[in-house]
Amino acid sequence: MRSLLQALSIARKDLTVELRTKESLNAAIAFSVVMLLLFSFAFDPAADVTREIAAGLLWIVFAFSGALIFNRAFVRELPNDCLDVLLSSPISPASLLLGKAAAIFVLLLFLEAISLVVFGVFYNLRWWLRPIELALVCILASWGISILGAVFGALTVNLRLRELMLPVIIYPILIPLLIAAVELTDTLFRNQPLSPDQLLWGRLLVVFDVVFTALALALAEAILVN
Amino acid sequence: MLLSAMDTRNFTFMFYGFLAAWLIVLIYIVSLARRGARLKKELEQVRNLVSSKHP
Amino acid sequence: MRERLVIALAAIAALLLAYNLYHIFLVLPDEAAQGAIYRIIFFHVPAAITAFTGFFVTLVLSIMYLISGNLRYDSLAASVTEVGVVFACVNLVTGMIWARIIWGIWWTWDARLTSMLVCVLIYSGYLMLRRAIDEPTQRARLSAALSIFGFADVILVWKSIQWFRTQHPSPVLSIRTGGGNIDPAMEHMLYLNFLAILMIAAALVLVRTRQETMAREIDSLRRLANAA
Repeated sequence: MRSLLQALSIARKDLTVELRTKESLNAAIAFSVVMLLLFSFAFDPAADVTREIAAGLLWIVFAFSGALIFNRAFVRELPNDCLDVLLSSPISPASLLLGKAAAIFVLLLFLEAISLVVFGVFYNLRWWLRPIELALVCILASWGISILGAVFGALTVNLRLRELMLPVIIYPILIPLLIAAVELTDTLFRNQPLSPDQLLWGRLLVVFDVVFTALALALAEAILVN
Repeated sequence: MLLSAMDTRNFTFMFYGFLAAWLIVLIYIVSLARRGARLKKELEQVRNLVSSKHP
Repeated sequence: MRERLVIALAAIAALLLAYNLYHIFLVLPDEAAQGAIYRIIFFHVPAAITAFTGFFVTLVLSIMYLISGNLRYDSLAASVTEVGVVFACVNLVTGMIWARIIWGIWWTWDARLTSMLVCVLIYSGYLMLRRAIDEPTQRARLSAALSIFGFADVILVWKSIQWFRTQHPSPVLSIRTGGGNIDPAMEHMLYLNFLAILMIAAALVLVRTRQETMAREIDSLRRLANAA
């Protein structure tokens, strides 16, 4: 319980900083709009093709522009040795990791909401047909991205080549999550009922979140403490 | 026995397959050997360096 | 001592391989449907099992490192992963050559091909991470954590990609099928070649671990020189 409160205070601190400076959020939103624009040159945006690949495109946008958010989560603590201070405070490494992931999660959801609106306008996509299920998919998948973003952000924070290492490490590991999210989102965009097969993807999302959250909490100390 | 064109191709590709497999292992062994030689040289140098500083 | 072990392993592996190759090429007949090309399976499948054995061993070694803090486990984990990636590449390349004949294409986004590719990418990331860190204990700690995450992910990747329809031939080993899918003589050969390739891999791992130890020695000597 106490460690959850500690995690919450970390998350609140991060979100306050982010709301004041908006450094990573602005960059992430701008980047996602740029990506949506670039896609319009990659294929014929008027055709039915858009509807076919919309779900995949969106999750690529979320995952890539999300990188701008989780990249900053720990790098932000480097100046003035803030990270060392945080680690020597009574807050446990697991709470720190959890709090960071929670802050990333909130920002990521906000980014996804904006991208969905922009995507809907640009590509004439009716994404709001199944709002509750879509929100659920976004929440489950975003938590997976957030916890892994926090873990690998922490893992690479002290490296010379962190900007290079982070994407190389994280995207292969995100593959199962992205497959599941794309499959489910695609069905929801088409407004088709979710078959048992697709519920399997939902279950995969849950398993992914549970497994990696548990691993992150168990390994937090190994990752963060020198 | 007369081999048809298909069979010959089948046979050549089998050969390519084995060649490729061993080539990859061979390339790895060569890189391993080169790294080993480099490390040995480096170790020698560092040992000399240390013994010159701590006679 | 270690040198002798490597030479002995390599010698036995070479003998076994010579025996295997003789049987694969000259004793076993062509397969009915695929012709000569099926022989690739004798390297393709053992390479895959060797790679996965390697990845699993890395997982165990990483956990052991995190528990004990003994850098020896870390050196061994790094060596095993590297050799595992090499054999995963052998598996992918031989598979592609086989696919060119049987399917008419080099690559298809089938479950097992994709999974293997993802594995290669994850563990290449592990090897790259190791190169990016200079400090030995930090490198050991972080790469051990990454390898645990990586292995957990490999299982999920495997499951998730399997749910897409698969084009790859189904398992042939009788421990997975209950027998009947493969000629016993061929299966016997498959196991024998697995043994040979595993021995080669073990010899490579030993050589590689020796290098890791050497690198650590250089590192500590350098510190000593700099401290003086």
